Amino acid sequence: MIELQDVSMRIIIIIVGTIGFAAFGIIFGLFYKGIDRKLAAHMQGRIGPPLRQPFRDVVKLFTKENIVPENAIPWVFNLAPIMGLVGAISILLYLPIVPQTDGGLGPLVSVGGDLLLILYLLMIPSLAMVIGGFSSGSPYATVGAQREMATMIAYEFPLAIIIISIAWRLSIEGNANVFALTTISSTAPVWSVAGPLGFIGFAILLLVLIIVTPAELSKIPFDSPEAETEIAGGLLTEYSGRNLAMFYLTDGVKTVVMASLIVALFFPYNLSNLSILGLESGSYLAFAVDIIFYLVKIFLVIVFSVTLIRVAIARLKIDQIVYTYWVPLTLLALVGLICIMWDPETMAQFGLPRVVEWLGFV
Amino acid sequence: MITWESFLETFETGSGFWNPLIWITAIIVAFLIIYILRGYGKKEYKENTEQTKVFLSGNPEYEKEQMHIKGSNVYWGFTESLKWVYKTLDKMHTGNVSDYILWFVIIMGILFILVGVI
Amino acid sequence: MNIEHLSQTLLTHSPALIVAVPLLGAFLTPLISRINDKLRNVFVILTAGLTGFLVLLLSHDVLINGKIHTYIFGSQDIGSPVVRILFEVDGMNAFMIIIGAILVFVAVVYSWAFMKENTGLDKYYTLILLMAAGMFGMMLTGDMFNFFVFLEITSISSCALIAFWTNKGKAVEAGFKYIVISTIGALFILFAIAILYGQYNALNMAVLANSIQYTFLDKIAFVLLIAGLAMKAGIVPMHMWLPDAYGRAPASVTLILVGTTQASLYALFRVCFTIYGNSLTAPLKQIGSVTITLNGFLGTFIVMLAIITIIVGVFMALKQSDFKRTIAFAAIAEIGYIFLAVGAGLWAIGTPHGMMALKGGIFHIINDALDVGLLFLVAGAIYYATKETSLNRMGGLARNMKYTTIFFLIGLLAVSGMPPMNGFASKLLIYESIYLINPILAIVAILCSILLLAVFVKVFYSAFLGPKIPRFNDVKEVPKSMLIAMGLIACVIIFFGLFPDLIVNNIVEPAANALANNSNYISQIIGGS
Repeated sequence: MIELQDVSMRIIIIIVGTIGFAAFGIIFGLFYKGIDRKLAAHMQGRIGPPLRQPFRDVVKLFTKENIVPENAIPWVFNLAPIMGLVGAISILLYLPIVPQTDGGLGPLVSVGGDLLLILYLLMIPSLAMVIGGFSSGSPYATVGAQREMATMIAYEFPLAIIIISIAWRLSIEGNANVFALTTISSTAPVWSVAGPLGFIGFAILLLVLIIVTPAELSKIPFDSPEAETEIAGGLLTEYSGRNLAMFYLTDGVKTVVMASLIVALFFPYNLSNLSILGLESGSYLAFAVDIIFYLVKIFLVIVFSVTLIRVAIARLKIDQIVYTYWVPLTLLALVGLICIMWDPETMAQFGLPRVVEWLGFV
Repeated sequence: MITWESFLETFETGSGFWNPLIWITAIIVAFLIIYILRGYGKKEYKENTEQTKVFLSGNPEYEKEQMHIKGSNVYWGFTESLKWVYKTLDKMHTGNVSDYILWFVIIMGILFILVGVI
Repeated sequence: MNIEHLSQTLLTHSPALIVAVPLLGAFLTPLISRINDKLRNVFVILTAGLTGFLVLLLSHDVLINGKIHTYIFGSQDIGSPVVRILFEVDGMNAFMIIIGAILVFVAVVYSWAFMKENTGLDKYYTLILLMAAGMFGMMLTGDMFNFFVFLEITSISSCALIAFWTNKGKAVEAGFKYIVISTIGALFILFAIAILYGQYNALNMAVLANSIQYTFLDKIAFVLLIAGLAMKAGIVPMHMWLPDAYGRAPASVTLILVGTTQASLYALFRVCFTIYGNSLTAPLKQIGSVTITLNGFLGTFIVMLAIITIIVGVFMALKQSDFKRTIAFAAIAEIGYIFLAVGAGLWAIGTPHGMMALKGGIFHIINDALDVGLLFLVAGAIYYATKETSLNRMGGLARNMKYTTIFFLIGLLAVSGMPPMNGFASKLLIYESIYLINPILAIVAILCSILLLAVFVKVFYSAFLGPKIPRFNDVKEVPKSMLIAMGLIACVIIFFGLFPDLIVNNIVEPAANALANNSNYISQIIGGS
């Protein structure tokens, strides 16, 4: 039975939560963008812009003219950037980034959606960019948009393998609701269920996920949809002013989302549970420690999966992107999947308890 | 009987769940926030001037029909890297009724062998 | 006579009436057509509406109250049902006729404006109603030979309707291909029915299900039935007639064709789960420590075919340049999803995730009909407005046809399974149950669903977006009747998307239970045994 009062309470939580997530996503998205630019500049021996440069960029874009080209369909052209940002913000609702009273971080709505929903929601910002690019009616934008779509198809293959493998391994361990992020991040983190072979498998999957991230965020080397030097900004060619600012913000929010997803799937551990610190679970201090540790974790993920890769590697052609994801990376992910599928059997034979037994400790 | 509570239930699949109403609420709220935020931006632009012309790196614009990239040219990068798949598929689709029947007979044959052996 | 009594009588006779009303309507249509064209259209819509009402009445009683209706022609009691034609309606039948009723009603509303400029409309409407009667018959009948008869009625009327635009040579070609394929399929089905009749001296599905032994002859009949029905349902590699037929028929006809294809699919499931249900889990052979059962290897075979169906359907859709052929290949992929889920349900019959997969597959049947149907209607609307079928010759239509664009967007999101549309709910059920059978299945299913999104984004771009093309300057929005028809389906899609739990609990679950457990179906006729 659901009480009317209960429903209104939940609605209020969702509304307040969404407002909070919008602010959090946008501010930290821009902040991490600043860090990313600064670090990339240092890696290339430049000084780089100050950390608050992305905020200034957005303010600048808001004061520029918002041109709707004559070849565009106005309502689609204006709606696409908004829907992209809205879709990206809505993903934060399902990620475990809210401090829980019983310690650790958990999602705001724990029974509202699962990992496959997030997989689909991650498509919405890209889809919005594709439709926005197509609706601008410019050849450059069209070429960019179809490249973005092809990139999306390409990286979803390894991404789907990662998600299904994790869920499969957890369900073999007898967990319920294996697609739920609460299960993955707090009940049974992936490293805790894996045996030696499974450990290798998950490490491979983590590597693949880190390589999927730049494509998800349209960063070099997978930024051929936007390639400024070839197709003049690609699907963003005709965008300007506040519409472009919306896409800029979407990019920031998506960065936070992807990093949080990696953290939730592979590094869901929290400091506040450590007994050395002696924090009382549920106290404000514990919340603060968890949040700061989480921000550090997503910073590290962004450095490795976005900044390092984009500084180190040059842009790929679109058919090379499709090939990269569909052949080498998919094969790699499949190797990971096979490792994980064999894991339950090898675990019984060569798992830690057996190793201890062989060494004669028992 | 169908009660009003059953409209709010979360859809459970045994391995996960999905509640569309929560998502819709969040989307509406987020849309309002973003719409208000976007309202702070500058709205105006100079309509029907050079500004709204399509950007072609300074080249003159062609006729409108030529500016529209044709549907069959979309996804070049994808079809290019999977050419071998499409070659096989094209060979399969001959559009000839006797081939259609041939495939039917082949599938029936495979099934006969399977059922017969097992 | 009071209302209660009347509704009770209607309910008792509704299985027969659901077939009889469109059938009688079909014969009356040419007569009424002599009086007035508008009157005929109203009459046909009323006939479809009345059928829809009866369907609701019957399926409400079956699905919510959990009854199984039997209707025996020419008799009141279940004395010797073996030699009588009878209709038997359990959860699965009730579920299928809901789909049929929605599609037929929407198709006739759509036809009002869509077919207005054509001649020979009395024949068109007669055939539409005949096709509807045949489809409902296929979905309701409890008798094998009767099923064959309805299959033939549907095939012949569909063939005539596919080739309705005889001034276009390709439509006639498609009609010819369709009749060849469906006749051959139907003859093999008839052969199988004859084998079964020769063995058990019965044509009744429940009686057959009760006495089936899985002998050598039964095996032959089984193969013939599966292959014939799978071809009628458009499973790769026997799918090639489908793009021709779907692509060339008028859009309103295509909508009902989707329904008849699914009726064949339903019959396939009925054969596997009900008629051969008793021999499904019996061990057939022992190889080492592995016991092979019918459900195991049949499930594997179906799942393999389904995966090929999904992949080929999606890949072919990606390179098509004709609007309706693109949707037709996507429809093949969607049929593949249904087949995949039900095959997985067959494979893992009796387990919780097997049941989930079955539910997902059955839920996807109705979603597929609605989503693909909506897209076909949009394709028809664009043909009506521009007289173009090739995607290469369209562009910028979102300016002229705003509502059609919105309906297409809804269809696009639904067919590619984006939240919050209905396709997402059923695909979620499918993914989150089949990964337990084999993770690869779920991975391919997810990937192909994203490819479907890419396919329809391409269609959206080439038809609706892009610069204003001077050729289409005076293109106007389509007439109201077509908008109403598309809007009806769009509303149902959104409703299903927002309340998936409600739909699954009240409509899908009884149907899945009816398939998974054939003892209720049998005991209704045999009586308790």
